[in-house]
Amino acid sequence: MNTPSLFESARALLVRDLQLLWRRRGDALQPALFALLVVMLFALAMGGEPQALARIAAPVLWLASLLAGLLALDTLFRGDAEDGSLEQWLLAPVPLAWLVLVRVLVHWTTTALPLLLATPLLAELLHLPHAQLPLLLASLALGTPLLSLLGAVVAALTVGMRRSGILVALLALPLYVPVLVFGAGSVAAAAQGLDPTGALLMLAAGLVLALVLAPLAAAAAIRIALS
Amino acid sequence: MNPVVRWFHQLGSPPYFDRFAARWAPWAYALAVLVMAYGLWGALFNVPADYQQGDSFRILYIHVPSAWMSLFVFALMAFYAAIALIWRIKLCEILAMACAPIGAAFTLITLATGSIWGKPMWGTWWDWDPRLTTELVLLFLYFGVIGLYHAIDDRRAAARAAGLLAIVGVALLPVIRYSVVWWNSLHQGQTISLFGKSTMDASMIQPLIWMIVGTKLWFIGSLLMRARADNLRREIGKDWVRQLAASNAGDNAR
Amino acid sequence: MSYQNYVVAAYAVFFVVLLWDFLAPRIGIRQLLKTAKTRVTRQTKPDKNEPLTRES
Repeated sequence: MNTPSLFESARALLVRDLQLLWRRRGDALQPALFALLVVMLFALAMGGEPQALARIAAPVLWLASLLAGLLALDTLFRGDAEDGSLEQWLLAPVPLAWLVLVRVLVHWTTTALPLLLATPLLAELLHLPHAQLPLLLASLALGTPLLSLLGAVVAALTVGMRRSGILVALLALPLYVPVLVFGAGSVAAAAQGLDPTGALLMLAAGLVLALVLAPLAAAAAIRIALS
Repeated sequence: MNPVVRWFHQLGSPPYFDRFAARWAPWAYALAVLVMAYGLWGALFNVPADYQQGDSFRILYIHVPSAWMSLFVFALMAFYAAIALIWRIKLCEILAMACAPIGAAFTLITLATGSIWGKPMWGTWWDWDPRLTTELVLLFLYFGVIGLYHAIDDRRAAARAAGLLAIVGVALLPVIRYSVVWWNSLHQGQTISLFGKSTMDASMIQPLIWMIVGTKLWFIGSLLMRARADNLRREIGKDWVRQLAASNAGDNAR
Repeated sequence: MSYQNYVVAAYAVFFVVLLWDFLAPRIGIRQLLKTAKTRVTRQTKPDKNEPLTRES
């Protein structure tokens, strides 16, 4: 029997994940709903005045995406860890890092992408100035996969732990700081009339690096966790 | 076999390391106390008050060495962790995990003294300037490593997982620092930097150097003691620990 | 403005934290050795030929 190529194994994993997700398709909406709740809570806490909300709209939307992604990390490896599939990954003829990369990208597509599509609607709720919206979407498009990749390393470190909820957040949030700073900061810079390109390029560079390095780190972490 | 190489191998034996650490830690501590006492005496009584900042400038002699230690220990922790992960050397796992609380302690000192120094300087107890913000993130990274180490039951897997986190952290730390510096530059009219523009006279640098050396010596003593404790914890069922405990009956632990 | 209080506070933080750093591993080692010692006494089989005494 031939060893499957990288593409074949990726397609198999993709199809399996999408099938599993399809059986619970309601779950795909949960990150977007969570973000909506966060937006609502911020609006309520701020008092609902349009000018005040407009000033904090971009950072709040960034935080809503970040926190929703943090909560969604739980589902990244948990299902496979519980039913033993993760150990099969260790035995697979393709590199573990490759499987991790495919899994993270599928996860991002099914959790963060709906959120990204919902962001214009959420932006309206917070009276985000329309000029900021394209930049916000661009920073989120670059930032959320980066957050998923960094989060995957943390999720891999804590895979198999039963009560790891807050610990995952504590581990992941310091790693998220530069992404948040450059992401929300790019919108803030543009709002002040400065050039946001530098920040976006930093995010892009980080994303490229993370695409290569994060799966390797996560694979090492999975090996440690399942050793 | 080369004696240095043989000594390294010997250190890998838990009872040998226990004796080594028990023997040398007190010396490191004693030397550290002497050096730091000399440095602090110079800081408090010899150095003239800064013309801009008055006596509060003396806090620098604690703040700066602690800040450097907080970064140095984190890098060393990642270094030990890398060796532990690549070569699976148990002693390096122990050393890496022993670094974490010491580094966290120095980070805490840095934050507290930075805040205390900031009050007369800026008028507030806290300011989100790049240095302090990076130190705060560093504190969370330390807590993460410590928390992860204690959350996993198997000590060796726990040390390797926490070690991997330390390596990821050390790789990201420059990025975090740079991002916060950039973020700070967005908001114009920021405060003066903690040290102001006054250059330091040679006589003012001396106590700082003593403090830097002293804190490093203290770190060595503390690392040996904490590594010894972790070593004992891992080996508690073994015979050599029982013999050590039985022979210690009646004395205090050294 | 008296900076003395601030300097004192900063130096006090330094000493307190280092004191904790000094004591924590010592206390840990002492407790570990005590635990090991109780295990030894618990697992040492008593000599059946000796009469029972109160001393362990």
